Amino acid sequence: MDPIFFHRNPDPATAEGPRQGLRVALQPNLAVAGWPMEAGSRALAGYAAPEDATIVRRLRASGAHLSGSTHMSEFGLGLAGNGTGAALRAGEADVELVLDLMGESRLAAAGAAVCGFKPSYGLVSRFGLVGLIPSMECCGIMSESLGGIRAVLQVVAGQDGLDFSLPEEPVPDFAPETVDPARITVGVVGEAQHDLGVTQEEAFRSAIDGMAGAGFAVRQVSLPEWPLFALVHRIVGSVEASSAAGRYDSVRYGRRASGAKNWNEMYLLSRGAAFGTLLKSYLIQGAYFQFERYGAFEDACRIRARLVGEMRRLMAEVDVLALPAVVSGPRGGEAADDASDAPDGVYAQFALTLFANVTGQPALCLPSTMASHTGLQLVGPRLSDGRLLALAEYLQKTGRGGN
Amino acid sequence: MEFEAVIGLEIHVELNCTTKLFCDCPNRPGDDPNANTCPTCLWLPGAMPRLSEQALEKASLLCLALGAELQPRSAFDQKVYYYPDLPKGYQLSQAHLPLARGGGVDIIDEDGSPCRLRIHHVHMEEDVAKLVHEMEGRVPISLVDFNRAGAPLVEIVTEPDFRAPYQAMEFLKALRTQVRYVGASECSMENGTMRCDANISVRPRGTTQMNTKVEVKNMNSVRHVGDAIAYEIERQGASVQAGEAVVLHTRLWDPDKKATLPMRAKFEGPTVPDPSVSAIELSREWIERMRAQLPEMPAARAERLVEQHGLTRDEALSLSADPESADFLEALVAEGVAPRMAMHWLTTQLLPAVRERRQGLGTSPVSPVRLAGLLHMLAKEEVNAKAARDVLAQMFESDRRPEAIVQACGFSQISDRGALDDLIDQVIRGQESAVANYRAGQEKALGFLVGQVMQASRGKANPKVIRELLVERLGA
Repeated sequence: MDPIFFHRNPDPATAEGPRQGLRVALQPNLAVAGWPMEAGSRALAGYAAPEDATIVRRLRASGAHLSGSTHMSEFGLGLAGNGTGAALRAGEADVELVLDLMGESRLAAAGAAVCGFKPSYGLVSRFGLVGLIPSMECCGIMSESLGGIRAVLQVVAGQDGLDFSLPEEPVPDFAPETVDPARITVGVVGEAQHDLGVTQEEAFRSAIDGMAGAGFAVRQVSLPEWPLFALVHRIVGSVEASSAAGRYDSVRYGRRASGAKNWNEMYLLSRGAAFGTLLKSYLIQGAYFQFERYGAFEDACRIRARLVGEMRRLMAEVDVLALPAVVSGPRGGEAADDASDAPDGVYAQFALTLFANVTGQPALCLPSTMASHTGLQLVGPRLSDGRLLALAEYLQKTGRGGN
Repeated sequence: MEFEAVIGLEIHVELNCTTKLFCDCPNRPGDDPNANTCPTCLWLPGAMPRLSEQALEKASLLCLALGAELQPRSAFDQKVYYYPDLPKGYQLSQAHLPLARGGGVDIIDEDGSPCRLRIHHVHMEEDVAKLVHEMEGRVPISLVDFNRAGAPLVEIVTEPDFRAPYQAMEFLKALRTQVRYVGASECSMENGTMRCDANISVRPRGTTQMNTKVEVKNMNSVRHVGDAIAYEIERQGASVQAGEAVVLHTRLWDPDKKATLPMRAKFEGPTVPDPSVSAIELSREWIERMRAQLPEMPAARAERLVEQHGLTRDEALSLSADPESADFLEALVAEGVAPRMAMHWLTTQLLPAVRERRQGLGTSPVSPVRLAGLLHMLAKEEVNAKAARDVLAQMFESDRRPEAIVQACGFSQISDRGALDDLIDQVIRGQESAVANYRAGQEKALGFLVGQVMQASRGKANPKVIRELLVERLGA
């Protein structure tokens, strides 16, 4: 098995265009016509994409080269053993696309000491994406350079005649902007610092001090309902996943189980054999809320709307939120591969990142220069993606922010 | 104890859109299996639904035709269930926020009194695939045809206002007429473009409780709906009399056995909001634009036919139930044909002739202009009624103008007194006893003599003129 690529593009780079020379690795959950699209699941074994995803079509048209698709966790849920970032580390790609369901692209970036970015929800087409949580997922972008992230975002963002779920709103151009620290207020989320280890806490404090030193106005802010983000994500996310995974039936593709007495048993056996432990637990949880606790799901939807409103109010007071991003659970510094294969473990691991998937805000993670597996998360209001990139570039250029 | 039935209907109408509900595939379920499919309606990984504007418009017209109120905001949900005809595991349907609420259909009840049957709501949904089971051969196999998958459906859910099979049948007929009027569907139960499920429960007459209902499916004509409901009322009444509890389940109507047979426990899966189809927001302006597209509806048209053209109420109602016939009648009248004559010829001559030839009014070679030409000649007594019927038959065979057919075939009516005088002379000479009888006061004999002259003219004489001439000649 190729340690970096699940499927290596056999074709040489030939396309011309503004992104010529840019090498992009993606996950096999994005459709590239003719490439295997297994999304890390036995349920899609042998399934080849019938047509290009919108992201892929736009990248190709810009002249970028697709280096291949990487290994990934089942349907992109969590990071267990998927080697995200390997193509960047090995110098096989300049940019990696990583599905961000609850923070995967940001934590993988912190782990690989590169930059990771989750765009605003609704900015990037999901057409051709094998997804799991439609209302929260977004194609994340990882790269050593923020310029690489911008180069991809500029090409892939924007309305798509094939994805009607994108809101009709003007798309920013993401061009570099000048940053005037004196005019920017950074809100440091208190609730996000409770469970940090010593080195991580130091790294985060040093990043915040650096920003204050550069002239940014730094304020402590509070999100009293912080724990609810995880709860809402878990209920809404698992319910959506339970529906979304319905079509991954292992009957029309994947491996159909043999020896069943009737079609119903054939479906049950096939699905049972196809999905891994984490996914099964997650889907069963979603089915439980769908079938048995629908009221709790409705509550979660209502609370989600409230959290979005609360966040909007907070974003009226500050320009950007700063939070730590820590790989593998706030308490430890273990490697990413250690994640539990139970939803509890995965949710603990992404406790600091998943809120941005609940609200749909853009979130950027800069790797720390002081502590490994640690990063600084910057989160702005929806559609402030360009400003967020500019701010991060400023911090990198000036060596501020501990990054 | 006397029982009464409480009945509600769920009617699925397949919209006659060019494409499916969420993709651009042709909406032609009858084509070769799986000819009209794409990643979206095969529900393949990565495909996304894109709501058809035409489907939204047709569904909205249908709602307005039924007096239902279009909602400013509606949305699609996932109706979760697993079955091989729905391999993605959920059907997109508007479960929580339907397209329209309220409305109803007016019928004339069995006892002749007007009766309004209310609609609870109308929602859109996608159809599922079709399963074909091949039981012959060593291993029976089931095949899935996705041509129908994603076809645009509208479901009309009524209030439990119905008490008798007659009401259900009248409701379906009136509903069908109204939906056809706005051109949203053919509404053929025989072809499956209109499907009706009935929810039926019984209770002691005079009480208001809602008892456990039974769902009955698989009726493929309006008649079957009536029969199935009647059977089910009888069956439930008997079982309650016998002290058995009615259990919530689904039954299938078997038209051969003329009975409902149990199918399965009724399954209600969860419905969760779909995150990928945007909510539908209808502005007031958009709704008004739709309303402006509504044609004159059958009830209004019947009223106008009575007032404007002097048709009887029954004539007007039956005519307006079929927009094609009503259009034809109004076209004849616009050509200057007297409404009564137009009505008479349309219903007693043209419609049977068209039906006999298995044609439609719109597709038959007898256009309103051509028929009007013939009826003008009849009105001016240039042909008589018998000849006009023969000419009509010939009009189906050639596209010549009726005047030309009359000329060529010598159908012209003889009204010229000089030409008729000779014939009358012959008959008076040959029928002495009839002449004597008439002169003796037997009026009947005159009819016989008129008939004799008609025969002598080989049907071409004008009977009115003959009668006048005979009275003149014999009365002297």
